Amino acid sequence: MPDTAGNGNVTSAQELGRAAVSGRHFDHDDADVVVVVGSGAGGGTLANELCRQGIRTVVLEAGPHLTADDYSQDEWTAFNQMAWLDARTTSGSWRVARDFPNLPAWTVKAVGGSSTHWAGACPRFKEHEFRAKETYGGGIDGASLLDWPIGADDLGPYYDKGEIKMGVTHRHGRPPLPANNNYKVFANGAERVGYRQYATGPYATNAEPYDGRPATVQDGFNFQGDKQGSKWSTLVAELPKAAKTGKLDLRPDSHVVQITHDGRGHIDGVLYLDADGALQRQRAKAVCVAGNSIETARLLLLSSSPSHPDGLANSSGQVGRNYMRHLTASVYGRFPQPVHMYRGETMAGIIGDESGHDPDRGFAGGFYMEPLSLGVPFLAAFIDPGAWGPEFTAAMDAYDRTAGMWLVGEDMPQETNRVTLNSDVSDQHGLPAPNVHFDDHPNDLAMRDYAWAKGQAVYEAVGADSVTLTPPYPTTHNLGTCRMSERPQDGVVDKFGRAHDVPNLFVSDGSVFTTGAAANPTLTIVALAIRQAEYIGDQVRAGAL
Amino acid sequence: MATVTPTGVEIDQRTLTAMVRAMFPHANFPDGPYARTAAAIVDAAQNDVRMGAQLAQGMRLLDVAGGAPFAQLDAETAGAVLRGMSGTAFFEAVRSQTVLTLYNDPEVWSLLGYEGPSFEQGGYLHRGFADLDWLPDPRVEEES
Repeated sequence: MPDTAGNGNVTSAQELGRAAVSGRHFDHDDADVVVVVGSGAGGGTLANELCRQGIRTVVLEAGPHLTADDYSQDEWTAFNQMAWLDARTTSGSWRVARDFPNLPAWTVKAVGGSSTHWAGACPRFKEHEFRAKETYGGGIDGASLLDWPIGADDLGPYYDKGEIKMGVTHRHGRPPLPANNNYKVFANGAERVGYRQYATGPYATNAEPYDGRPATVQDGFNFQGDKQGSKWSTLVAELPKAAKTGKLDLRPDSHVVQITHDGRGHIDGVLYLDADGALQRQRAKAVCVAGNSIETARLLLLSSSPSHPDGLANSSGQVGRNYMRHLTASVYGRFPQPVHMYRGETMAGIIGDESGHDPDRGFAGGFYMEPLSLGVPFLAAFIDPGAWGPEFTAAMDAYDRTAGMWLVGEDMPQETNRVTLNSDVSDQHGLPAPNVHFDDHPNDLAMRDYAWAKGQAVYEAVGADSVTLTPPYPTTHNLGTCRMSERPQDGVVDKFGRAHDVPNLFVSDGSVFTTGAAANPTLTIVALAIRQAEYIGDQVRAGAL
Repeated sequence: MATVTPTGVEIDQRTLTAMVRAMFPHANFPDGPYARTAAAIVDAAQNDVRMGAQLAQGMRLLDVAGGAPFAQLDAETAGAVLRGMSGTAFFEAVRSQTVLTLYNDPEVWSLLGYEGPSFEQGGYLHRGFADLDWLPDPRVEEES
């Protein structure tokens, strides 16, 4: 349980981040360890929960061990330091393929993964969102909807554990964050258009000290790693605790290139490149993959063998398919008076009134609206990619009078939206790069148009002079590609994230999402990881792993 | 006939500065940020054969397309020349490098009212994170 003892007992983000690497080293030939690939929200949480059960765990993280003092509050410096920039390609009709052809996603390559980059929004899935096929009628053309093999009742206790672990505001006695400038515009607009479900959270950043971490100083750089350490991330919250158990061996700069199996098809280890580029083998009794949806699918595809020519755990042919990225769009409103949206927490707020399923709006599923601030460098790059001229400069001239919001909603899974290996392009290691193919579904387009109009209305209700409707950024919510299914032929993993085909292979990140729901995914990834760790612990104690 | 040698390309930085300003016209910006952007573009071209070649060729056309050297054109004519080139590899090379450079300049941040890094100054907790006063203070709790 988090340390809730008092407010005086706070450790700096730098100390916590350093403590994520324990110094313990388990032998490469030790076949009794569990290997976790990736140290983000899924992998880092899973590792801590395994270590706490006494299970020796090796975490292989492809990226470097960055900590608070390394982080920069310059957006491009931080991006170039933290982002996953290995070779990737795109295809399909989505606008990202045109604007950012080699940057389909904005995820992190460092200890802590994208939990060091996320902002903190923590809505839960709604009950019906686990049953999207049933609820939406199942007959949406071109959508490969499927109901989750678990429901809100199964995940409820783990949502509680996740929220307590993460110190989510508005939950379990955690106080709300105060209103910052961007939220004041957002919430007043919400009130005036008749919305009621607005608040400054739930949001996984400390309004007051909690779990040994300090309160926010409203510095405005959540996306750049959070130098203060008031935001929950696996770097400052899960991994230092795991290290303290003596059961964690976290190896940064360790890029897994193949999961290996024996003649029975059971996993027996991984091959990875270490910091010097030398190929190493780590034996394991089980492997849990948490590389974020693109890299997780890529690793399973790369792990093909003569007995699994189409990739590991892929008898269904579903590995890499049903890639989802949430609706994503933004609205920036410009006002006659100052806003200074960049001061304070980046995304501390939510409007939930549009998050339900109401087919009368002309689409299935729902969306949230959340305040969002970008600094001048990123606003210039992302507000209208490719734009130039007086209209663009007029928008930038109004920077300090601008408020921003993000629109995040459920997108339809489609079999053809897919991560594959690009045989023509290699990364710096010589491995085939992933290609991300995505076409917006008509339901996605209808929801985006509707959401843009609603966002515009919120800002116009409080006097916006003009607004910009901003197209999707490179994806931060990468979901699907190894979806969870009741029947093996419909997906890649079962209700605990265990591969249908392989008894000691698990997927432990957002790849397992059967459908995307409207909610920001981190809380659900964490809840699933806590639940999976319990299951793995049971299996280990029963001698089944 | 000039020989284009990308590592030794000679670019008139004054013309390039004028081009960058015409592309991203901010009335209150002095020349400094634009000149620094032009210098960054030339720097980038030193390490990028394709960009250097495109720049060398593109700048020659830029200086004749409007009927006079580009730096001497009025804003309207300069805009028309740029619109005629938009979408070309030359134009995109200049535009994309400008977006990355011009708006990553602390002088520009200050001109646009962006205060940038804040952690060393204690964040914005005591420096105006909630100083907006032209709207009422909204509810922060969830609806009960």
